[in-house]
Amino acid sequence: MSSIKKRLPRSTLALPAWFWFTFFFAIPVLWILFYSFGYKPDLFRTIATDHLNLHQYSIAASNTFFQTFKSTLRISLIGTSLCLLIGFPFAYWIAVKVAPARRPVILALVLVPFWTNFLVRTIGWRILLSPSGLLAGALHSIGLHPGPLQLLDTRGAVQLGVVYNYLPLMILPLYVALDRLDPSLREASKDLGAGRLRTFLQVTVPLVMPGIIAGVLLVFIPLTGDFITATVLGGAKGNMAGQMVYDQFLIAQNWALGSAMAVELIMMIIATTALFGVFGLAVRKIVRARRRVVLAVAA
Amino acid sequence: MRDWTRPLFGAWAVIVYIFLFAPILAIVAFSFNTGRSLEVWDKAGLSSYSAFFQDQVVQDAIRTSLIAALGSALIATILGSMAGMALARRPGRWQLFFLAFLGLVLVTPEIVSAIALLIWDVRLGSSWSFFANGLVRLWIGHSLFSTAVVTLIVRARMQGIDESLEEAAADLYAPPFRRFRQITLPLMLPAVIAGLLLSFSLSLDDTIISTFVNVAGTTPWPVYVFSAVRSVLRPEIAAVSTVMLFVTLLAVGLVAVVLRRGGSTSHDVAKTLAGA
Repeated sequence: MSSIKKRLPRSTLALPAWFWFTFFFAIPVLWILFYSFGYKPDLFRTIATDHLNLHQYSIAASNTFFQTFKSTLRISLIGTSLCLLIGFPFAYWIAVKVAPARRPVILALVLVPFWTNFLVRTIGWRILLSPSGLLAGALHSIGLHPGPLQLLDTRGAVQLGVVYNYLPLMILPLYVALDRLDPSLREASKDLGAGRLRTFLQVTVPLVMPGIIAGVLLVFIPLTGDFITATVLGGAKGNMAGQMVYDQFLIAQNWALGSAMAVELIMMIIATTALFGVFGLAVRKIVRARRRVVLAVAA
Repeated sequence: MRDWTRPLFGAWAVIVYIFLFAPILAIVAFSFNTGRSLEVWDKAGLSSYSAFFQDQVVQDAIRTSLIAALGSALIATILGSMAGMALARRPGRWQLFFLAFLGLVLVTPEIVSAIALLIWDVRLGSSWSFFANGLVRLWIGHSLFSTAVVTLIVRARMQGIDESLEEAAADLYAPPFRRFRQITLPLMLPAVIAGLLLSFSLSLDDTIISTFVNVAGTTPWPVYVFSAVRSVLRPEIAAVSTVMLFVTLLAVGLVAVVLRRGGSTSHDVAKTLAGA
């Protein structure tokens, strides 16, 4: 061990990054909390904090805004579930069914949309979904949807857009988890007489659970705060909470209300995540207890 | 036993790939639209590409984006490489706090970091004009998430390398700086380069933070596009996006090559590129 290591604290090299995060992330984020207790004094100023109060929270929770929070949560819960349902079989296919030599190419193809500008690929959907656009034509030619397509600028378009935009974030952690899974475990399960479904539910799913949780969080958290997809595809009907925050900060210039909305948005994310976490732990406990009973009876 | 599920999975994969690529192909195809509106096809031509060379505003936006990406990538690479080294080589209780902090930076919804930065920049900017500068704001804003990503990449790389190499150099009386330059730096270089290119691409891609901290005169490309969404979308946007798409893919492809030559497996590469 050299003498330098003894003289300086062990975290010395990390201090610049630590400072950077504290000064430009932690303190500013706490400032949002502070501003959420303020108010908008007049037309020309964005914020005043001379007497702090909870008034902005009651405005942010009032009916119009509350409806948007509710529909945001609905869009993000449905969106996360759809990403999982679409992404899981796909990730399973890459990790299990595709020959190892071809896997890098297949994965690289998933990364192309991931690395295409978020905004640009969302605009791509505007082209596809436009009333006389490609999708309308395709649906029309197979006789599914006669007449112009009325999907653009609705909540349905936003739902489609968020599933599209966050799908790669679900596929990648699922793939990593499935790839780590030793195939001999599945074979052992089959040798012991378990069918496909039982092997899947009792061997594969529990073992890739970390990947599922990572994917769900990676999709759910940014999706809930997203305002770009809703702005591009939702028009007037497909509002999301992120847009309300955007409007308060950059259009209405009411930073106190915007901050209160942002705090409520974070609380909604934390509460939902915690609720699902508790629910998941409870389910796991019940399943394990039941299995123990089954094993005890069998013995 | 024949695997009857294989064709089902294959069919599903084809559907997912079509879904993933449809809007990107639409953008590339409609970049050749000669009409006035992006969404309404007129006829094929290169007018949108030539329009780019006459549009000073778009060119300025691209230049701002590139300068912002370069600066924030440099900041993130320097801070992140140092922190990643410290995490891999100087473990201790501080690590837990630091990793938790890093996790918070990574999971916080971007809109929250964005308004936080806007509030902070305006507050600081009223005393120091430095923070009222649009480029400075973009450098700071874009470097936060990237610093966390670079830290994790460098840490993963250094954890995979035996410290005895560096200790051997020390035993052979190499002074600290020489030891770093001749042993440590070459070993960590693939991770540093990957981090640099990733940060660069992340910055080019960023819309949310840029929208909030944006100052008139230094508007980056995605903010320009976002304001066009609210007024009128012209085919030029698709043309520039197509060019930017290929630039980004080139950068990401380079990352993959660098990581592969640095000895990572293909799924490590995928993980790194996913920023996870």
